Amino acid sequence: MKDIDCTGKTSRAINQEIRHHIQAGETELRVQHPQARHNLGVAILQPVSLTMSGSVGYYCGGLIDGPRIEVQGSCGWGLAESMLNGVVIVNQNAGNSVAASIRGGTVVVRGSASSRAGIAMKGGTLIVQGNSGYMTGFMMQKGAIIVCGDTAEALGDSMYEGRIFVGGRIADLGNDAVMAEVTDQDQEFLATTLAQYDIAAPASFQKVVSGRRLWQFDKKDFDTWREAL
Amino acid sequence: MSERPVVRHSTTWKPETIEDIQAKADLGRYRIRGFSALRDRPLPSFDDLTFVPCTLSRIPLEGYREKCSTRTVLGTRFAKKPIEIDIPIMVTGMSYGALSYNAKVALAKAAARAGTSTTTGDGGMLAAEREHSDILIYEVLPSRYGINVHHLRQANAIELTVGQGAKPGTGGLLLESKVSDEIAELRDLPPGVDQRSPCRHPDWFGPDDMLTKIEELREATDWQVPIFVKMGASRVYDDVKLAAKAGADVVVVDGMEGGTGASPDILLDHTGIPTLAAVSEARVALEECGLYGTVQLIIAGGIHSGTAAAKALALGADAVYMGTAALIALNCNKPLYVDDYQAIGAEPYACHHCHTGRCPVGITTQDPELMKRLDIDAGAERVGNFFNAATLEIQMLARSCGKSDVHALEPEDLRALTLESSMIAGIPLVGTNVVFGGGPGWKPSSER
Ligand SMILES: Cc1cc2nc3c(=O)[nH]c(=O)nc-3n(C[C@H](O)[C@H](O)[C@H](O)COP(=O)(O)O)c2cc1C
Ligand code: SF4
Repeated sequence: MKDIDCTGKTSRAINQEIRHHIQAGETELRVQHPQARHNLGVAILQPVSLTMSGSVGYYCGGLIDGPRIEVQGSCGWGLAESMLNGVVIVNQNAGNSVAASIRGGTVVVRGSASSRAGIAMKGGTLIVQGNSGYMTGFMMQKGAIIVCGDTAEALGDSMYEGRIFVGGRIADLGNDAVMAEVTDQDQEFLATTLAQYDIAAPASFQKVVSGRRLWQFDKKDFDTWREAL
Repeated sequence: MSERPVVRHSTTWKPETIEDIQAKADLGRYRIRGFSALRDRPLPSFDDLTFVPCTLSRIPLEGYREKCSTRTVLGTRFAKKPIEIDIPIMVTGMSYGALSYNAKVALAKAAARAGTSTTTGDGGMLAAEREHSDILIYEVLPSRYGINVHHLRQANAIELTVGQGAKPGTGGLLLESKVSDEIAELRDLPPGVDQRSPCRHPDWFGPDDMLTKIEELREATDWQVPIFVKMGASRVYDDVKLAAKAGADVVVVDGMEGGTGASPDILLDHTGIPTLAAVSEARVALEECGLYGTVQLIIAGGIHSGTAAAKALALGADAVYMGTAALIALNCNKPLYVDDYQAIGAEPYACHHCHTGRCPVGITTQDPELMKRLDIDAGAERVGNFFNAATLEIQMLARSCGKSDVHALEPEDLRALTLESSMIAGIPLVGTNVVFGGGPGWKPSSER
């Protein structure tokens, strides 16, 4: 385990240190005192393990492919955005747009997530152990979002595809988001995925998918399209 | 013989207006189409300006012996490796999806041949595009379709797109017929949907967030390559300042004439400001921040010739993007396959039907049969030739104005042919030596 102390350093210098250690063959790194700096651990492309011993700012673990990153505090906007593969875990709460546009991998928020969690997801899995905010899963394209707690308004608004599971209360569904039956396959997926991160599953889940009415314009369905176009 | 009645058209209820109402009465939504603005009232444009070459007060350069450099360097502010291109004309971002594979690869080859760059688009990078281009700019758009860190890191510059001139303030569109199985897979979408993209980036909103986003892109590319910020021309004077202050190396401003594969037609015709006004505002904005020359300016939107490009350079651009002009060099709107133009409701020279996916000349289609009509190498040669011709035009104008570098063209080399363009560009009206106005914050050169 290699320690990197952020005190007095810019994000750029810290990231350079991280890369330097990875190049030198280190596979476990601990970043100490991150103090909510932005852009830590961006674009890491190796299967290394990185621990952020504190809270991080925007875009931590953005544009990564392969690493496992654990944030021991909370995170700002866009955690793990556009990730191709890897695991990013935040032990407390996540700011807006956690897991934005990820194409693979898993993001776990052990606390609650703010608005637009899982926005434009193109694959992968987002797990929120607490509650999640307004417009969770907005324009989601693929993948799965699991929220063990409650979700705020406009859940799954304008989603193309993908599955959203909610253990608690759904304040309100977004445009063209519809309830669906939780299948046996879904149950198995939920059980194994949550078990992997030692998350106790809620008593039951509701499932939300795309109603597919926004897939093609339909002039007879003006009420829907007035909201969407 | 009875007299023929006089046909009198209303100027309010023109045939186009009547047709528009009836089309919408059928469609039940706004109309969507490709190409560019189709207004019947002309926009103020570079055509309203003329060069005033050397006579006695200045001495021209001799074409045969005296060199006129066209070398263009972009991204000198923060990037370790600025882009160096041979000419001040670049291929703009047009998505694989809007364009066919053949068109994308032809443009990449043409750019390499002409010593310039090409740009990806809304849908990610095509491997063949990287392979055949020397300098590739990778767009990061609100939709993030096809976003891939490995592709991003192979690029020579990153373009963070806020919007485009054809549809500022709104997201991309790709209609059903173009969302083929392959395009759907690349964009992680269900095949055959009418794809609507978001207008905002998923993970940032305003200029303060953008600053952090730009820093993220720099970290992801190790501060090696320039970061461009592209916007549709709207409140250019303010927006360019915000982009420059947020740390862009290069600002791209796309005027309301800017082309598209599919946009709502009202946005094409009734939103944004013309490219002439956009370049004028952008220059003043950069000057006022003290960043003119430090942050480079690329201008796009209706640049159809070396002449238009030269005027854009004289007004303050470092380079121009060409989209539609490059497609036209590939044969867009050429009278070939005339029946197929008519089948989609178009005519050669009056086609704006890219949104149908049935492009008669194989450029804006995903249909394998139509695509075959565009031969990649022949197309690349035509676009390369056109870029060479446009470069010669810029050089000729620069030499005639006594400039040994096309980037030395300046507002003083121009005169305005109309009051309107004099006011917009801050250029004296011909025959007067008087500047009638000028953009926001404009000052006469003596006071700058
Ligand atoms: C067929 C087509 C597809 C386009 N696709 C994109 C795109 O994917 N992303 C983007 O930022 N702009 C796109 N544009 C806009 C161009 O990048 C550029 O801003 C515009 O074409 C410039 O105007 P011009 O066509 O008059 O040269 C597209 C334009 C055309 C014509
Ligand atoms: S010819 Fe093709 S590229 Fe040109 S306007 Fe028509 S459909 Fe679009």
